[in-house]
Amino acid sequence: MGRGFAYERDILYRFEGNPIVTLEDIPFRANTVFNGASIKKGDDYYLVLRVEGQQGHSFIALARSSDGLRFTVDDQPVMLPAESGEFAKYENRGIEDPRITEIDGTYYMLYTAYSKYGPRIALAETDDFVNYKRIAIVSEPGNKDGILFPEKINGEYVRFDRPLGHGVGSIWISYSKNLVDWGKSELLMRPRAGYWDSYRIGASAPPIKTEHGWLEIYHGVKMTPAGPIYKIGTVMLDLENPAKVVARCENSALSPRADYERIGDVGNVVFACGAIVEKNGEVKVYYGGADTCICVSTVKLHQLIDFTFDR
Amino acid sequence: MTGALYFDKNIMRRRKKQLDVVHRWEGNPIITTEDIPSSCGDIYNSAAVKFGNTYLLLLDIEDQKGRQAIYIGRSDNGYHFDIEKTPFLSSDDIPDGKTYAAYGVMDPRITFLEGSYYIVYMVNSALGFRLALAKTNDFIKVTHINYISEPDTKAGALFPEKIKGRYARLERPKSGGRIWISYSDDLIFWGDSKVLMSPRPGFWDFHRIGCAIPPFRIKNRNWLLIYYGIKDTVSGPLFRIGAAILDKDTPSKIISRTNIPLLSPRELHERIGDVNNLIYTCGAILEDDDTLKIYYGAAHSCICIGTIKIGKIIENCIESKREF
Repeated sequence: MGRGFAYERDILYRFEGNPIVTLEDIPFRANTVFNGASIKKGDDYYLVLRVEGQQGHSFIALARSSDGLRFTVDDQPVMLPAESGEFAKYENRGIEDPRITEIDGTYYMLYTAYSKYGPRIALAETDDFVNYKRIAIVSEPGNKDGILFPEKINGEYVRFDRPLGHGVGSIWISYSKNLVDWGKSELLMRPRAGYWDSYRIGASAPPIKTEHGWLEIYHGVKMTPAGPIYKIGTVMLDLENPAKVVARCENSALSPRADYERIGDVGNVVFACGAIVEKNGEVKVYYGGADTCICVSTVKLHQLIDFTFDR
Repeated sequence: MTGALYFDKNIMRRRKKQLDVVHRWEGNPIITTEDIPSSCGDIYNSAAVKFGNTYLLLLDIEDQKGRQAIYIGRSDNGYHFDIEKTPFLSSDDIPDGKTYAAYGVMDPRITFLEGSYYIVYMVNSALGFRLALAKTNDFIKVTHINYISEPDTKAGALFPEKIKGRYARLERPKSGGRIWISYSDDLIFWGDSKVLMSPRPGFWDFHRIGCAIPPFRIKNRNWLLIYYGIKDTVSGPLFRIGAAILDKDTPSKIISRTNIPLLSPRELHERIGDVNNLIYTCGAILEDDDTLKIYYGAAHSCICIGTIKIGKIIENCIESKREF
């Protein structure tokens, strides 16, 4: 079932070799693999993966590739929940959903630290994606989906985050002078009633700088009687004032349709965590399918921009 | 109808025994909706400060449309207050108030810090509730500084001095119902948030807690924190107040904590109102004889006074040899 279907309904084009990383590719015992940050450093591609262990706590593993399509997973996890110190208290139920942004030659990772106190956004730094230096936990509990912008704007670092106000998951923007203390938080955008992103939204990939503004790939959730449907969408933000929406896609860019997106620990989920813009204008969008595997899709940058402006 | 259907108020007053650690003033309640000169549906709570010789309350009042704002009440003796007709601080006064404070501004807590009065208060809207910071020197003109948290966070209060070189605040993120502490260099950008104190299953502060009165130093320089605790019952929440002592140098360290509440809803005006069984405070005034005059809101409908010697609060904290 599903084989032979041309998935042309979505603007993101699925790679025929999907899924590109599954549990079979993980050299150690685990429950699932999903939601990986993607980085291209020189000619090498990396996926910094969220792997859920069989006890239910997540940690981080690394996959490498020379073409961005075929990946090999390292023999050992690269980052486990802290076992001592201040971080241990807030990560003892796992570390989740890494997002990596390069700022001035340094790779920063925001991830979700999870504990009985609730989810919080944490910051670490890496050079080689194998060794990570924890810097600070940078939000209060009840917040996740933190993603850094790749440069300072008006002299301040900028991030997306996703607090839950009255249970409504909207995307917010916060600012910082040192990456550790954050403030001036403001609403960026809310779920849209009646749309595919009507229940919750959150930022997905580090924003891409274009001549039209910051292009952000985000996830939107619609709630149905049978559970949530996670889809991927895009929004264009003002270059100078990223809290200003220039255009927001009408349609979803990718919906769960393939078997590997519909069937898994959480069915009907496509959830992007990273995107790589190639020199030829192709964007590789990496996403988790059904909380059970990693997939890749492609689209031309100019097509994605047109899609965002609904033209 | 006939009065026979109603509970005789005097039955409550004839009680001889003092049931709570805090002493209730005999003239309670001191402010009811009838004392408010503007449109008033509810009185929630108030912050309190002695400004020169004037006792000053910042009252959280809901108008009959249902929107909360902060009004000033002034008094010479601390018991009889004149309340202003127009709000001191409302959602119309702050930037993006329509977005973040559509339901109003509420729960003010005053801290005297570096020569000015800072007010941490809560704004509420469809986007959730979050903290904001304002500053005044005269309680006439007020300056909005910024929103200082994301949703959903409430019960914010600044410490009256820097801790190890940084400003510090208490707050209550919704997630977990705990009191947290955060730090800042400039009162704008905040970080280093840590859990300070959690609800205690099986105790009066079973389900949620939050800072009530901004922390202040006692004689041995430790911090005294008066907090509120909520226990959810089958017919709704019970709001009470208790106390904890925090380490003088490291206030994220708890030294002791009352096992019993200092004050529980018992009087009719504490039990009956728009939110029944509720005692909630945002402020108190420490008199020269070490009496703490607690201005507390009751049942979301009136303001009352409770008094207690600081020494007695400390005694109750120290006697409580249980987990915290």
